[in-house]
Amino acid sequence: LLSEKDISEPLDELEIILLENDVAFDAVDSIINHMREDLIGKKRKIRTSSEDFVIEALKNALLDVLGEGFSLTNYIDTHEKPVKVLFTGVNGAGKTTTIAKVAHFLKSNGYSVVIGSGDTFRAGANEQMRTHAERIGVKVISHQEGADPSAVLFDAVSYAKAHNIDVVLADTAGRFHNRANLMNQLDKIKRVMQPDIVTYVDEAVAGNDAVIRAEEFNNTVGTDTVVLTKADMDTKGGAAISITHTIKKPIMFLGVGQGYDDVIPFEPERLVNELLGAEN
Amino acid sequence: MLDRLGTGLKDAMKKLAGKTVIDKAAVDELVKDLQRVLLQSDVNVKLVMGLSKAIKSRALEEEPPKGMSVREHVLRIVYQELVNLMGKDVTVTLGPQTILMAGLQGSGKTTTTGKLARFFQRKGLRVGVICADVFRPGAYDQLKTLCNKINVPCYGEPGETDAVKIVQNGIPELKNSEVLLIDTQGRHALENELIDEIIALNELTKATHRWLVIDAALGQQAREQAARFHEAINIDGVIITKMDGTAKGGGALSAVAETGSGIVFIGSGETIEDLERFDPDSFISRLLGM
Ligand SMILES: Nc1nc2c(ncn2[C@@H]2O[C@H](COP(=O)(O)OP(=O)(O)OP(=O)(O)O)[C@@H](O)[C@H]2O)c(=O)[nH]1
Ligand SMILES: Nc1nc2c(ncn2[C@@H]2O[C@H](COP(=O)(O)OP(=O)(O)OP(=O)(O)O)[C@@H](O)[C@H]2O)c(=O)[nH]1
Ligand SMILES: [K+]
Ligand SMILES: [Mg+2]
Ligand SMILES: [Mg+2]
Repeated sequence: LLSEKDISEPLDELEIILLENDVAFDAVDSIINHMREDLIGKKRKIRTSSEDFVIEALKNALLDVLGEGFSLTNYIDTHEKPVKVLFTGVNGAGKTTTIAKVAHFLKSNGYSVVIGSGDTFRAGANEQMRTHAERIGVKVISHQEGADPSAVLFDAVSYAKAHNIDVVLADTAGRFHNRANLMNQLDKIKRVMQPDIVTYVDEAVAGNDAVIRAEEFNNTVGTDTVVLTKADMDTKGGAAISITHTIKKPIMFLGVGQGYDDVIPFEPERLVNELLGAEN
Repeated sequence: MLDRLGTGLKDAMKKLAGKTVIDKAAVDELVKDLQRVLLQSDVNVKLVMGLSKAIKSRALEEEPPKGMSVREHVLRIVYQELVNLMGKDVTVTLGPQTILMAGLQGSGKTTTTGKLARFFQRKGLRVGVICADVFRPGAYDQLKTLCNKINVPCYGEPGETDAVKIVQNGIPELKNSEVLLIDTQGRHALENELIDEIIALNELTKATHRWLVIDAALGQQAREQAARFHEAINIDGVIITKMDGTAKGGGALSAVAETGSGIVFIGSGETIEDLERFDPDSFISRLLGM
């Protein structure tokens, strides 16, 4: 039987590993404490060290937190078209680039796509989206800088309906969750365009704030799926655990670079193995 | 500040109140409290451990100055160690200079370039800006739009793929500027070709300053990333952006530690006016959630 003493050293070590890999403090705290309670008194197999036993248990716990992911193509195949996906998130997280990548991915898989350039606020946002769209050969609906984003995205949906387009990908300006007026604007966008999926985008290199903002976005506008970008920045992806632990919504894609192909479906096992070392 | 620090760590501080000799258990508890808030603010795990050790040994070894209570003595040590963590004081000179902007993708370089142009312009200096980002779609439009708002000349060559060439052409075009700001594309530590590019830009411009722009939300990666930038171009200042959100900016402290520099400015909003000089006391307050 495992005693408190057997597990406390390996758990302390794992706690540091998680923290060093950007799993948010509160998520680490809750996962490790939960394991502590769970493991004490458990029988361990003969010939496995208590350390291996604890690592195995943590892997399972993390896989539980991460869930199975989310297949966008499955969703599209089983729902009425156009499927409308609204992208939200804080400034600079990678929303616009992700939309270009996802559009390219869908197009390569035989789906027709229209993009709504819903960032009418940031300087150069329209030019950025239009250039991407042109390069990947996808239609983009945009209005002038300063226009009402709801109107742009409404037009994008109308265009999709009129032209039998499978998917609408709707961009929004980056915003912080503590700005009530900007969050209200997202609410209005939602009412007007009636998205099927609200996708929250954040970066894999974000630390503890990942939890706070994911929670706020989820509480105020709602989140159905998550995309984590910049996973190529030498990170092991602790933010994935922070976010799924907090809002319990599936991860749809990982962004792994700035090219149009740099978007991959999320594989929970791979992430956990990288985080804890694959040798076990 | 010391008093507010006391309230920030209030439970642990209570145990030190009224003591006449330092109690190891109380110090341990204080350090544990401090560790928790610093880790929650994204201060690097190794930095936190180093700081904890320093506080513990100083608190137990140093004699409190005459007339100072144990509580005050420990608070002062905590405060001094935190201030150390903030790095050097960086003075911003109001004269001719060239500033090279560096940082990860999406950290806020272009926006901050616009803000800096505004800052130096308000100080009465002639400012010129070069867009050396040949990668991001709309990069020139973005920077040009910001510069147009404040009537600052912005040099760029949309469509050109060689950043070094653009800067080479831009410098003589903007020779009347006293302050020259060079915005670069986002890059990270594993992108060797891009690291080489910024080395070349630094050599070409003989930049007076190389400022690393760090998102307030950046976590443990800040350390490695900053180390690579520093090795490449010798970073001499850090700018923390997006402090108007809820992130605490602790990641940027790793960048300060790695580069031996300090924090120059804080970005606190999306408009061109949202730039603040760094104030260590208010930064510490925020870091500790006070
Ligand atoms: N390395 C890397 N860079 C990325 C990735 N995704 C996006 N980026 C870069 O991050 C920067 C910001 O990306 P954007 O797509 O403009 O981010 P955004 O969320 O739309 O930004 P705002 O609209 O300003 O809020 C750009 O330079 C992108 O090329 C990724 O997966 N890896
Ligand atoms: N709220 C807020 N947003 C900011 C701040 N600084 C930058 N931003 C926003 O962050 C996003 C990214 O900023 P950019 O200036 O484009 O970042 P960048 O580093 O130039 O990005 P790349 O060139 O793609 O690497 C934009 O939406 C900016 O408006 C800030 O201090 N506060
Ligand atoms: K960012
Ligand atoms: Mg965008
Ligand atoms: Mg830029």
